[in-house]
Amino acid sequence: MDAMTPTTQHLELISALADGQLAGEDFAQALAICEADVQAMESWDAWHLIGDVLRSPDLTAHAADTRFVARLRSRLSEETALAVSPVAPVPVMPAEESSLTGLATGQVEAANDAIFPWKLVAGFASVAAVAAIAWNAGNSLLAPPAAPQLARAEPVAQQVLVVSEQGTIVRDARMQELLAAHKQFGGTSALQVPSGFLRNATFESSQGERR
Amino acid sequence: MSFKLFRVVALLGIALFATNYVASQAPVVTAPKTAAESRNINEWLMRMHEASRNRSYVGTFVVSSGGVMSSARIWHVCDGSQQIEKVETLTGAPRTIYRHNEKVTTFLPDQKVVRTERRESLGLFPQLLKSTDSHIADFYTSRQEGSERVAGVEADIVALVPRDALRFGYRVWAEQKKGMVVKLQTLDADGRVLEQAAFSELQLDAPVKLDKLAQMMSQIDGYKVEKPDLVKTTASAEGWVLKTPVPGFQPMSCHKRPLAGRPGSDPMQWVFSDGLASVSIFVEPYDNRRHLKESRMSLGATQSLTRRLDAWWLTVLGEVPMATLGLFADGLERKK
Repeated sequence: MDAMTPTTQHLELISALADGQLAGEDFAQALAICEADVQAMESWDAWHLIGDVLRSPDLTAHAADTRFVARLRSRLSEETALAVSPVAPVPVMPAEESSLTGLATGQVEAANDAIFPWKLVAGFASVAAVAAIAWNAGNSLLAPPAAPQLARAEPVAQQVLVVSEQGTIVRDARMQELLAAHKQFGGTSALQVPSGFLRNATFESSQGERR
Repeated sequence: MSFKLFRVVALLGIALFATNYVASQAPVVTAPKTAAESRNINEWLMRMHEASRNRSYVGTFVVSSGGVMSSARIWHVCDGSQQIEKVETLTGAPRTIYRHNEKVTTFLPDQKVVRTERRESLGLFPQLLKSTDSHIADFYTSRQEGSERVAGVEADIVALVPRDALRFGYRVWAEQKKGMVVKLQTLDADGRVLEQAAFSELQLDAPVKLDKLAQMMSQIDGYKVEKPDLVKTTASAEGWVLKTPVPGFQPMSCHKRPLAGRPGSDPMQWVFSDGLASVSIFVEPYDNRRHLKESRMSLGATQSLTRRLDAWWLTVLGEVPMATLGLFADGLERKK
């Protein structure tokens, strides 16, 4: 029973602390107890949880993991240190980021889309990656982000791989010419007049002379 | 965007495969119920072909192939004997293509160039379909798969199913009144959609003036006129023979066409067709600077294969499975 006494006192103190009734020496003592007495800390959490639930049921998802909170706190303090110090480079950051965002959202695909119709080809994936980088280098003209761009461009190439079913190949401008010849003079089909011609005319112009 | 499109197409493909599978399990209906169901494949193709005659329309045509989407604005007018079509591309490089029967004129406004050519293949098929030796029915069957609305018109869905693995299948949406093709899909053996083309918007019997289109087609002032230099020949005369013919594919034409900037390397183009699918074999002298690696490529429904054959370089291209291209490449031989 003797052992209970200090703890009960502790709990009373914590209760008072939770209610915001402590000041001065009592406040300091309560904080010291919180650090030393695990049970006191659990009570502190429980009372807050009860208070939260009374205010709103949505708050039941209470973070009771004190160690997690502690880790988060220490990480946050490190973050603050980082965020505060480099004030100067801030104007530079957005420039880099915008080029990267462009990459992530549309530019790589657009580049891929516009230049290379033979995108379904497995071996071609590497060519696409390189070309995508070249294309974006032209856009951003930023040497430093080359490495991140490579990293970003790679997944796009892999999307090409997903579609692919055929073997390896290197893209060839001559192939485009032959394809056009095939479409023009070899498009021999009973479906040619109803829709084959439209298909080829619609299709080949976007395939044909590309930049 | 292309990947998204692929997923959509793939999903569609799976759905279509499912319906295909169910359909293939169903017993063959022998007793015809309606005129539409009793049509055989030649009748369907003939109807589709005839539908573009005596019909004027304006529409937007969209082609989706290998993750690439292209679209064009179409004007079509026909007075029975003459057919004029204007295709104005909405994607890629700006092009305006006119077709007056078999004569095709392509305007390249950014290069101030106009290309004129004659496409004999355009006039080939009605006769071929009418003739008794049409082989299409030997290699494809047709099956009606219900109906659907496309570009605002009710259309019959007709599956053209290959009888062997050497060719792709097709699914055609033919407008119900006259049979005009409003949508076309190319399907692989698993029923996946490799390519599709469709009107997204269509105004049938639109007031399109034939003479006005013909006039626009002939306005080539300020343009440099280019005509492809085609030399008709035969494979045999060029020293080639297809030792093992590929079932269903018949030789249609053979010619040499000098390619710009590379005199002396003009390839021979030998064209084969089974009536729906076509294959081109290109043969040119082997050049170790340009012909680095044998390859196999795929773009939507179009496949290609390159291969070295002694002193020559083969390129086989066509809207057929890769294995079929392999048969062509294997079968080609230098005449002794």
